[in-house]
Amino acid sequence: MSDLKKCVIWDLDNTLWDGICLEGHVQVKEEVRETIGELDRRGILHSIASRGDKETALQVLKDNRLDAFFLVPRINWLPKSQNIIDISKELHLSLDAIAFVDDDIFELEQVAFMLPDVLTIHSLKAREMPLFPDFSPHEITSEARERRRLYQAELEREKAEHGFKTREDFLLSCGMKLKVRPMQEDDIPRVLELMTRTHQLNTTGLMLGRDEMMGIVRGEVKEEHVVVAELRDRFGWYGIIGTVLAVTAPSMWRLKYLAVSCRVMGRGIERALLATVLHGAREQGFTHLEAEFRETGTNRMMRALYQMAGFRTGDKPDALHVTMFRVDPKNLPDIPRWVEVL
Amino acid sequence: MENDKSSIEATLAEYIREVCLPRNDGVNLKYDTNLFDAGIVDSAGLISFLCFIEKEFDVNIPDEDLVPENFVSIARIADYVCSHQQVPYERS
Repeated sequence: MSDLKKCVIWDLDNTLWDGICLEGHVQVKEEVRETIGELDRRGILHSIASRGDKETALQVLKDNRLDAFFLVPRINWLPKSQNIIDISKELHLSLDAIAFVDDDIFELEQVAFMLPDVLTIHSLKAREMPLFPDFSPHEITSEARERRRLYQAELEREKAEHGFKTREDFLLSCGMKLKVRPMQEDDIPRVLELMTRTHQLNTTGLMLGRDEMMGIVRGEVKEEHVVVAELRDRFGWYGIIGTVLAVTAPSMWRLKYLAVSCRVMGRGIERALLATVLHGAREQGFTHLEAEFRETGTNRMMRALYQMAGFRTGDKPDALHVTMFRVDPKNLPDIPRWVEVL
Repeated sequence: MENDKSSIEATLAEYIREVCLPRNDGVNLKYDTNLFDAGIVDSAGLISFLCFIEKEFDVNIPDEDLVPENFVSIARIADYVCSHQQVPYERS
């Protein structure tokens, strides 16, 4: 389960504003406006699942300078649970990362019944939402403050995809540049954030403390190495979207942790990052290349990543549920053609 | 059994066209296209695809079997499904 919610989906009539949009004048609730602004600053996204007429409602949001806050709003006559599912898919978020706010108990109960992973909140609590632990990340990084804009760039990218002949042509046209470099002190908050927020593209669910990371950055722990990956494409800069922790011993290089933000899912970035660090290890002369995998219940795709990249194991999980995979250094996966590694 | 394989391939291709490709890309999809090298499926896409395969063809795919030899292309997946099915596949 996600401890932190990544997106709040709002009802409109009598929740975001007083009154019913289709019946005349409405007044945006100031406490809701404040909550939306504050959560946005913390990197929490907003969307809308509401009944009504889309054009009318969007105009009201625009008139109140609130429209830019909401990604992929769903204003229609479908059940809200369906709209919530559609929003979660479009934003690549799991349902347990979503909160839903409404003034109507029936709607809240209906969503809670259909989608038990979604946190439901009565609109009377909107003012207090910034105090909820579900919306209180330990640290607010520059990526967090930019998150809404990053998602908007990503949605643009998905729209652009429709003009291309093949998917590969489209990926090549994106001009993806992946910069892989050692972690520096300034990166630590973002790396901690990735470790906390990433569940599906996460190989072991490992958590490091700030002090441990400082030790690694300062070179106090010679055998541990953390690298970060930044992604840029023609739609914008995505910030640090991946991180890798490796430990080394003479001739042995072991990947203890690899995580990639779900924001960049669907374009082979996890494969590009894995291939890049493996090629780097081989170039440094390591002959035994290994990777740990610990099943967390949500990260089957990382096991698939390892195995499809040529890793194999004969081992059973150890006492800590870690399975060790090995790859032949002569047979490493290629970096996808559409990713340029810097 | 050959008939079975081709109908499995057709069903797999239909899924890929619908779920993984923009509307006009379907024509370029071949049964031996490397789905990963062509950027059609990645780690996340593979997991959804596996769920579809398990349900549609009533096969159970253990994690150990997730290797390129079995899953790199539509043709390979169809071979895998053929050899792991309890009962021969019939399009309903």
